[in-house]
Parts: sequence; structure tokens; C-alpha cells
Amino acid sequence: MHVFFSNKSAQLALFAVFGLFLIFSPEVVFAADALPAEPLAWWIWILLLFVFSFCLGVVAVVAGVGGGVLFVPIVSSLFPFHLDFVRGAGLMVALAGALSAGSPLLKKGLANLKLALSMALIGSVSSIFGAIVGLALPSHIVQLALGITIVFIAIIMLRAKKSEFPEIDKPDKLSQILHIQGIYYEDSLKKNVDWQIHRTPVGLVLFVVIGFMAGMFGLGAGWANVPVFNLVLGAPLKVSVATSVFVLSINDTAAAWVYLHKGAVLPLIAVPSVVGMMLGTKIGAKLLTKVKTTSVRVIVITLLLLAGGRAILKGFGI
Amino acid sequence: MNNNRVHPDDSQLVYSRVLHWTSTFGIAFVAVAFAVYVFELLPLKVSIQDIVHNWHLGAGELNQTFKLPTGWGWISDILKGDILSFASIVYISGVTIICLAAVIAVFLEEKNMIYAIIAILQILVLVVAASGFVGAGH
Repeated sequence: MHVFFSNKSAQLALFAVFGLFLIFSPEVVFAADALPAEPLAWWIWILLLFVFSFCLGVVAVVAGVGGGVLFVPIVSSLFPFHLDFVRGAGLMVALAGALSAGSPLLKKGLANLKLALSMALIGSVSSIFGAIVGLALPSHIVQLALGITIVFIAIIMLRAKKSEFPEIDKPDKLSQILHIQGIYYEDSLKKNVDWQIHRTPVGLVLFVVIGFMAGMFGLGAGWANVPVFNLVLGAPLKVSVATSVFVLSINDTAAAWVYLHKGAVLPLIAVPSVVGMMLGTKIGAKLLTKVKTTSVRVIVITLLLLAGGRAILKGFGI
Repeated sequence: MNNNRVHPDDSQLVYSRVLHWTSTFGIAFVAVAFAVYVFELLPLKVSIQDIVHNWHLGAGELNQTFKLPTGWGWISDILKGDILSFASIVYISGVTIICLAAVIAVFLEEKNMIYAIIAILQILVLVVAASGFVGAGH
């Protein structure tokens, strides 16, 4: 095993395997799905949620995915909370993470305000509609759609290519009108990198779809934002990742209000999740240079496939 | 190409600065309000035990069970521990609106009308969502 893993990544792998076990047999470990929660004192649930969110935060950063995308399918599988509250907490997790990461990314010039505002305006409208539809549909339908989406995300993660510095021959007309272009200092090259984008109208349409799904499932949407910025619009990878975080902070805000007004955000569930995930991502960021990220990424994709499969089964009432 | 480190636009720096302070305050607010809630330093609207026994219910059903106010109806109960904790989450959801409002002034000063309009429209979208006028029940 040491051929593939350093000690720390082995620990992460063990955690992930433990998580995998939980997904298969949550009833045995946490008695999830038992309707009343009498067997455990309330504070144990909250502590478990905090610790679990912390671990998810560590793994999410190391695997290069947003916490929200792991949080909703896994927590809805393991804990006895209704899916409405898990999605509400998932949105808050994604929102709080994006808000705390947003400031330094903007300051360094990696996140681009103009690119983000152009895409977020239309995405935030569709995320409101996504949230409304998600809260209006019966739970088993949402579970089923969530499961299919999670499996789809895992496949995207497996297959998606990345382009560090995409070549753009000519920016499109709309991006020129909107002055979407930029320059940032690339540490690895020790020089400034100019960038511009193309296919802006296609990107706008895709952000409508992404916003809708983010609002409906409370997932956060870094998994979709980054490939659209990078592969469709042609922004450099670092700009794509940073701007994606910033777009999340706007789109998730729009959806979060719908969940708040519908009473789908319980502080007892949302706050430990947010705090645990934020602390976990800070530790994860420190581990990032010391662990084999590809191994962790494979484990996370496996976890997503399993959690997605379980959500599909729940959707069918199995 | 000039290889000195580049500095982002003023609008971006203003957004970054406002975001830093508003989100830092937000995280502290969330932590303190949650401590007030779980240690019951203020009376609660709904007891923790009641929430725990019913968190398997959907949002609509749970609200109906405890006759919880939806929309902005919670404000009158702000001095209850659970509602204060909820208010801290509401604040977090309002941070982006504050940042956008701050950056509109910079866009207007720069006479960058396209982005001033985009930012105003973005605020309008978020304010409509925050107003509680949009939504559908189970």
C-alpha cells in the first residue's frame, strides 16, 4: 500500500473506506433512517455531524472538489435529517466556503469580478427557480434526480480534461462588449498571463442549467462551473477555479434565500456543518502539498458513485 | 509583456475588502449565536428536543407542526436563541448583497455603466429572492 500512499494519504484513504462502509450500512452504525432519534442524545448527532463535515472538508479540498457536492448525498444517506434540511445546510456550506475563500482570490486577481458578474446574473435567476422546484417536488423524486446528478458528476470528474492555458484565437463579440478579459501573475511561470474568452453565449446558457441544478439540489456547482469557464469559455484553469468560487457565492445566495423563507434551514444542522466543513477545508489546504491527490480523488469519485447509487435506490423506495 | 505583478481593478479590490470584513463578522456572529442557542442562554421558540424529534419531517410539515413563521415573520422573535441563530444564517446570506452595493459606487465612479447596471440587476434578483415573494410550497 505504501507504494501508492504516503502515511497521511493512507489515513485519508482509510477514512474514505470507513465512509464507504457507512454508506452501505448506515443503519448499523448511526441508525440512520430510523424516524425518531431517541437512541442518541441530540448533542451526539450534532457532534457527529460536525466531525463528519470536518472530514468531508479535508477530503474535498484534497480531491479538488467543493464540499457541497459531497455533503448533500453523503449526509442525506447517513443522518436522519429530511432531505430538505440537508439541501438547505448544503447550500449554506457551499455559500460560507465561497464567501470565506472569495476575498483573497479577488485580491490576488485570480477570480475575475467581470467574468463572474456576467455569468452569475443569469445563473442566480435560474438557481432561484431550481430551489423553488426542488422544494415543491416530492422528496423521492428529488432523491432520484439527486442520485442521477451525483453519478453524472462522478463521471464528469472521471472524464473531464483540463487545460492550464487554453488558446483563444479571437474573443467573441459579447465578451468584447462586456470587457471580459484579464491578466494575472502566474507563480509557476513567474510572469503575467493575459487571458480572454470566447463562446460567451454558450457559456451563459450552460450557467442557466448549472444554476438550476445547484438551487434544486443544494450542491454548490464548482464541479460544473470550472469545466465551463475552462473548456467552453477558454479561461485559464486557475482563473476558472477562482471565478467559480466567486460565482458560487452569488448563485448560492439566491437559492439560499428560497430555502430560508421555506424554513428549510435548521441552525441545529446548518451551523455544525458549516463550521466543520470550513475548519476541514483549512486543514485540507495544508495537507494538499503532502498527500497524493490523485489517489484521494479516485476514492472521492468512488464515494460519489456509491452515494449517488444509494440516493437512486432511496428514490425508488428501496 | 510586463512581468511585474499586476494589481486587480479598484472594483475588485473594493469587493474583496468589503467581503473580507462582512464575512469575518458573519462567521463570528454565526458562532456566537449558535452558542447562545445550544447553551440556551436565551429562551427558545422551539426546544432542541422538539426539533430533534421532528427533523425527519419535510420543511413544510415541520413548520406547520410548530407553527413557525415563514418569510420574515421570525424577526419579532429575534430575542429567542434559536431565532437569533437563524438570523446569523440570514446575515451570511445577505453578505453578497452588501458587497454588490459597495461595488456599484465604484462602477459608477469609473463610469462603467454596463457593470453598474449588471450589479444593480444582480442586487434586484437577490432582493426579490430575499423578500420572500418567490417560492412554492409542498
